[in-house]
Amino acid sequence: MAARLAAGDDHALAEVFDAVARSVYGSALRVVGDASAAQDVVQDVFVELWTHPDRYDPAAGTLRTYLVVLARHRAVDLIRSEFRRLARQERTYRLTPEPGPVGVGDEMLAAETAGLVRAAVQLLPASQRRVVELVYFEGLTCREVASAVGIPEGTAKSRLRLALARLETLLDRQLLESS
Amino acid sequence: MTAADREPPLLPPGLRERVLAASLRARDTGRPVPDAPEISAAEAFSRAASAFYTALCFLSDDDWRTPVLRDLDVQGLVGHLIGVEHDVRRALAGDPAVADADHVESTQAAAVRQAAGAPAGTRAEWRHAADRTLDLVRSADGRAVVALHGLRLPVRMLLIVRAFELWTHENDIRQAVGWAASVPDPSTLRLMTDLAARLVPQAGVGLGEATDVRLVLTGPGGGTWDVTVGSGPPTATSVAIVTDAVGFCRLAANRVTPAELDVSVAGDPARAAAVLFAVTTLALD
Repeated sequence: MAARLAAGDDHALAEVFDAVARSVYGSALRVVGDASAAQDVVQDVFVELWTHPDRYDPAAGTLRTYLVVLARHRAVDLIRSEFRRLARQERTYRLTPEPGPVGVGDEMLAAETAGLVRAAVQLLPASQRRVVELVYFEGLTCREVASAVGIPEGTAKSRLRLALARLETLLDRQLLESS
Repeated sequence: MTAADREPPLLPPGLRERVLAASLRARDTGRPVPDAPEISAAEAFSRAASAFYTALCFLSDDDWRTPVLRDLDVQGLVGHLIGVEHDVRRALAGDPAVADADHVESTQAAAVRQAAGAPAGTRAEWRHAADRTLDLVRSADGRAVVALHGLRLPVRMLLIVRAFELWTHENDIRQAVGWAASVPDPSTLRLMTDLAARLVPQAGVGLGEATDVRLVLTGPGGGTWDVTVGSGPPTATSVAIVTDAVGFCRLAANRVTPAELDVSVAGDPARAAAVLFAVTTLALD
C-alpha cells in the first residue's frame, strides 16, 4: 500500500481512508473534543500521508497505527497552539485600556469542550479555576469577573494570566500521557 | 470499557470527499514521491550510453566472444548498435531508405563487420557513433517526427526508445557474462516508464472490448497511469495492475514474461493477463 501511495495511486489513498479514517477521526476527537477541529486534523493527516508517503516506515508498525498516532500528535499540536494564541490574546487584552470580552465565541470554543481541557482546568488552584471558568465558559470580561468574585480587576487579570500559563503546562503533560 | 466505547465514531457526512479533494490539491495523481529530477530525453540517452560504454570497458576479451542475442556474440551486438546509430543519423537527415528498413536486417552488416576486429576498436567505434548521434540530437527539434525502422515518432520519443534499447542490451551482455543486472537512474527510468505506459494502448489495440487500465508502477522512476486498452466498444471493465517499475520495463523490452513478473491485479485477471502480454509486444529493445 505504501508503494502504491508513493507511486501516486489515489485509489490507494481512498482505500486507506475507507479502512482507517474512523479510527483517525476518533483519535483526533478524543483529544480536541470538537467535531469540526477533529475533521481538520483528519484532513491534515491524510494530506500528510499523500504528500509524504515516504515518511511512513512499515517496519515501525502498521499504517493504521501510524495514522492514529499522527492524528493524536496533530490534535495535541492544535490544542497547544490554541492555548498559546489565547495566552497572547490575554497579554494583548491586559494592555488594552477598554478591554472587550475575552475570546468568547472564537476557536477556543472548539477546544474548551475537550475532556482533557476540562480536566486540566480542574487541576488549577480554586481561585484561578474560578476566573477561568467565568471568563472562558461563561463569557465574562475581567471587569465582570472582578465584580462577581469581589476582587480587584488587576487581580482577576493576574489570576487569569497565571492560570493560562499553568493550563498550558498541565495540558502538555496530560496530552503527553494520553499519547 | 464496552465494545461501544471502543467503536470509532461515524465519520461526518462529506468528510471523505473533502479530505480526498484536499489531498489531490496538494499532490497530483500519478506523480511519484519522491519524484526524480526531470531530465531531457537527450540526457536520458546520454546516461544510458555512458552506462553501456562503462560496461563495455570492463569486458575481457573472452567476454566479447560470449554469445548474447540471436546469432550474435557481444562484439556482434555492439556492432549491431553501431549500425543502429548509423541508421538514426540517416533518419534524422530524412533519408527515406531507413524509414521502413528492418531493425535487424539493416544493421546486420555492421554486426558482422566487427567480428574481424579487436574488441577495443569496436568499443571505440560504438562510442564515437553514439557521440555523433548525441551531437545531432542536442540541436534537433525534439518534436520533429523521424521515420526509422518502421516507427514514426518525435525525436524526443526516439531518444527514450534508444535509452530503453541501450539499457536492455547492456543487461543482455551483463546476463551473458554473469554480471548482476543494472537499473537506470530514477530520472531516466521515469522517462522510460512514462513512454512504455503511454504505449500500452497501442500494444493492446487488438484486445477487443475497451478496458480501462490503471497501471501503478512502484519504486523509483515509477508512477500511476490511466489508459484505455482495446479498440472495441467501451465497457464497464476496468483492471488495476501494480508492479515494480524496473520489472515493467523488462516486460516492455520482452526480457521477462508476465508469469515472471511480481504483479498484483485488481479486476478481471484474464483481462489483466492479456494486457500484460500485450506489453511484451512493445519489444522496446
